[in-house]
Amino acid sequence: MQLIGDSLVIGLTEHAPLVLAAIGFALLYRLTGLLNVAYSETVTLGAYFGMWVNTTFDLNFYAVLLPAGILAGLVSVGTYFAVFRPAKRRNVGTLELVIISFGLSIFLRYTLQYVFGYPVRFYDVPPPQTWRLLGTGVSTFRLLALASVAVISLLLYWFIQKSRLGLQIRALASDEGLAQASGIRPLFVTVLIWFIAGVAGGLAGAFYGVGSSVVPFMGWRQFLFILMVVLVGGTRGLGGVIVVGAATGVALAALTLELGQAYYAQLVLITGFVVYLKWRSRRVAETGKV
Amino acid sequence: MNLDWLDSFLIYGFFTIVIVAGLGTLLHLQLGLARMANFGVVGFFGIGMYAFGILYVKVDWPFEDPWQFLVCALCGTLVAGIAGLVVGWLIADMNEDGVLVGTLGFATAVFILATTEKELTGGAQGMGGLNFPFDVGGVKANEAAWLIVATFVVALIIFYVWRVHRSPYGRLLVAVGANEPLARSLGKPTFRIKLWLFAISSAGMGLLGALYGVNERFMRPTNLGVDITLAAMVALVLGGSARVWGATVGVILTVGFFDIVVQNYLPVPREWYSQALPVAREALFGAALILVLMFRPSGILGDMRRDKLMRSLHRD
Repeated sequence: MQLIGDSLVIGLTEHAPLVLAAIGFALLYRLTGLLNVAYSETVTLGAYFGMWVNTTFDLNFYAVLLPAGILAGLVSVGTYFAVFRPAKRRNVGTLELVIISFGLSIFLRYTLQYVFGYPVRFYDVPPPQTWRLLGTGVSTFRLLALASVAVISLLLYWFIQKSRLGLQIRALASDEGLAQASGIRPLFVTVLIWFIAGVAGGLAGAFYGVGSSVVPFMGWRQFLFILMVVLVGGTRGLGGVIVVGAATGVALAALTLELGQAYYAQLVLITGFVVYLKWRSRRVAETGKV
Repeated sequence: MNLDWLDSFLIYGFFTIVIVAGLGTLLHLQLGLARMANFGVVGFFGIGMYAFGILYVKVDWPFEDPWQFLVCALCGTLVAGIAGLVVGWLIADMNEDGVLVGTLGFATAVFILATTEKELTGGAQGMGGLNFPFDVGGVKANEAAWLIVATFVVALIIFYVWRVHRSPYGRLLVAVGANEPLARSLGKPTFRIKLWLFAISSAGMGLLGALYGVNERFMRPTNLGVDITLAAMVALVLGGSARVWGATVGVILTVGFFDIVVQNYLPVPREWYSQALPVAREALFGAALILVLMFRPSGILGDMRRDKLMRSLHRD
């Protein structure tokens, strides 16, 4: 019983940014069909932007979230205009687009080291207080982070599912031609998708960064889990992504507590996700047989 | 022959070129022919290196080098091949996203095991005890001889790939890569073809990992970075992913330029060597991958000869 309580508290508070990052990636993947490996750098850049604003202007963490998110969103839009839009116009294939995004990911990851420097960086935040929740000690800061991620995730969910612009985004994803004929401006909506995805990734990065340290590989280390959460949960829409993201966080915490090492927990989950994807692809293939 | 100009730094640069050329050529089979984008090249390279190293260092063999090396390298190759068979089975019938997850996941798993299994691998600190299987007189001579051995192995790999290109099996691979449903509808066992291709090429990557491990004499998880996958991929794409010599041409222009020309012959400030140069190398490799795929997707060498022939026939 204690294990369940600990797993829930640690999993949800520590891995809450995974849900936010996965929502951003799912938006891009579901609505543009692009498997954007460079999304991992949006997460990293969000952490760096937040740290830079925090340490340069001496702002508290919650004040830096807005600029960090907006800057990451702008970088995301910038990559669309600089790389993905020209590539699409040149009819670059799906596989080549994935490789391009891999190259972009590497380029951004290493270039940012020239801008922000090589050493490990940290946010300048006061030491948090500790509360007890379900018998487990958790910092007030992590609880606030969980609450913030939950609110932002629900706002994004509401925006995509209920708002007029969200409807336009989904219409464009379903049938670009029909959406255009209905008066939807594809460029505006596409830019909006890239911006929102970037904001979500950037905010996730800021939450990851403030919880530990800011290093160039931080987004890349999370990318595999972001990708797996989206591939598994994405078939059920954004709601599915949120549920699978949260479940992954809890499972990572439970397995870490049970196996004694976070690495083993990751190994078990990676294996589980890949086997599930294999099983699903075989099931789809079987259903497709006539 | 006077070999004074050939210092250890230069030998290491040439060795890296040879190993990446081998990895790129094997990746050509997967990506260039069968259109399976292996983002976990370093995983197969790493499992071969660690399997070889663990057997070489931890097992008390009844015979000595060079047999010890040969047996351990063979085992490392087999382990990488079996890993390729398992991963290949998982991803052979998946689309791009499944292949990305499967191969990246495998590379991550190998890194995790190399880091956590301290008893076997030495963990994050790494494991020493590897050595050249011969002694031809001095460290530099041994390193130069090992470079020749690695070049010979990579030449064999290129010869094998060249033979595959000219065989019915190679034409089948091209057909599977170009239009898998069509190849399947013609009765070709596409899943099995991709599976064995992936296993054999992964085994080759494992063998190259074993050779690399000997050259390093020390294995640590930091050897398993994404830079190895990137170097192989950018070399192949730049040279021409559809051509046998694509990776070799590409690696000379990328790794060769940085690891030989820039590091040995350009007047670069010494303080750049630790961070500025390696960071610039990776950033430029990433940029090269983007630019080549956008402006010259078939790379420097272009399409396969048979594609050019088919186009000219259609024009006539």
